Amino acid sequence: MDNERRWYEKAGEAGDVVVSTRVRLARNLRDIPFPSRMNAAQRAESERRVRDALFQSNSPIAGDFDFLQIDAMSEQQAGSLVEKHLISPQFAAHGKGRGVLISKDESISIMVNEEDHVRIQVLREGLALCETAETADRIDTLLNESLHFAFDEELGYLTQCPTNLGTGMRASVMLHLPALAERGALSRIVSNLSKLGLVTRGTYGEGTGITGAMVQLSNQITLGLSETEAVENLRNIAKQLVDAERESRAALLGQIRVQDRIARALGVLQTARLLSGEEFMRLSSEVRFGVTAGMLSGIDLADLNALTASVQPATLSAKAGKALSAEERDVLRAETVRKALRGVA
Amino acid sequence: MLCQHCGEREATTHITSIVNGVMTEQDLCTACAKEQEYTNFFQNMSFDLGDLFGGILGAPKRERQTVRCPECGASFEEIVQSGRIGCANCYRVFHDRLIPQIRRIYGTSKHTGKRPGTSALRIPEPAQPLKVISPLEEKRAAMQKAIETQDFERAAVLRDEIRALEEAEKHG
Repeated sequence: MDNERRWYEKAGEAGDVVVSTRVRLARNLRDIPFPSRMNAAQRAESERRVRDALFQSNSPIAGDFDFLQIDAMSEQQAGSLVEKHLISPQFAAHGKGRGVLISKDESISIMVNEEDHVRIQVLREGLALCETAETADRIDTLLNESLHFAFDEELGYLTQCPTNLGTGMRASVMLHLPALAERGALSRIVSNLSKLGLVTRGTYGEGTGITGAMVQLSNQITLGLSETEAVENLRNIAKQLVDAERESRAALLGQIRVQDRIARALGVLQTARLLSGEEFMRLSSEVRFGVTAGMLSGIDLADLNALTASVQPATLSAKAGKALSAEERDVLRAETVRKALRGVA
Repeated sequence: MLCQHCGEREATTHITSIVNGVMTEQDLCTACAKEQEYTNFFQNMSFDLGDLFGGILGAPKRERQTVRCPECGASFEEIVQSGRIGCANCYRVFHDRLIPQIRRIYGTSKHTGKRPGTSALRIPEPAQPLKVISPLEEKRAAMQKAIETQDFERAAVLRDEIRALEEAEKHG
């Protein structure tokens, strides 16, 4: 493995609030039933076509991808890909006979036979909606040259679930909003956002909870709005949330109560011998707040992002090369965190 | 918060639905949410009506002709039950029955985004065509502006320059 940092180990634009950006496109083949109605032969056929579309294209990016079979992976390896948002939890759980194309820098994944035949995903650090959407767009254009995705003049790109019709695009940003959460403004914002055609989800997608004030914000509407309009909407709202969060942080940091909480969170992370994933997310949220507000130094946001990625449960186990018990994981997590935060004050 | 439908049980599900482009929100308990089939895209669609008529007319239900997609074999009933379309061709076969449902969630059924073989995110060029400005026209506009701002000295200089250019054009 090269030493270059991955997107989840870096901090990008507006990185104090926006952890990462993701864009996914749903696409399907015209002449094969959608995944829930495919038989084994059709599943293999669609997989072969998507692989060929990439690897037999003359594009220089083809050499940058690996095809990974979920069957050939340990549960921990597959889980680690979920934690890095490269595959969905459903894809990992029902991955039998399924595969995914992943770029070497882990910023692009193409899931084959997930909810749709093709799910193109691009990930970047920080707020990078245009850049991320452009990359997804280019990959779509490349694959379409040989796959000729199912498209209808009226309904746009055809998808297995009608809620993805049209652009098939879901763009999202992962926001860290501790100050807005602290002020109790989060639930009000979340309900207002739904009126603007945007949805919020937990860290790992639909149905997952919000931990450590991490909120995923995405566009909801895929039909009737162009990709550019959807991205613009999302970017405008994200920027407003960034401003609101920064203002709230400045106001909150003057409070001794908040300073105390940040300092205590750091204290626990620097000394704990057992650290659950949930506790880490909660406390590291405080430390992240402290770092972005200039109250803590000795670690930067990129290092914090890298640390967060490295102590997720499956990623910890995958690195250890074996299935770890919950306690073994908590010990290893505490150790990793102590080491990373040693010089922080 | 109590369920907005039954008013008895605790609300657990927050429902946002878009009908003809108007968004409404509801907090429901699990039972009411399930009763209203909010777990499925094709909520509130009933096939009982046809069965009912069949019963009145004394025709056994099984004899009703079920339309199936020739490509994947899915019937509309199966699509509604699973919330999933069978294949790309289903959108054509069941077009007339799907469109009202699609309009109900999006308020439209007209795609305005990327088309295959194009780029989705190309920023469109400004509407006005590119103007080629000649030095002569530039000076005329500048003179007009100078007159408007009562800078007559500058206007006189520009006038002479314009005359010179016009002469040059005539003889060129």
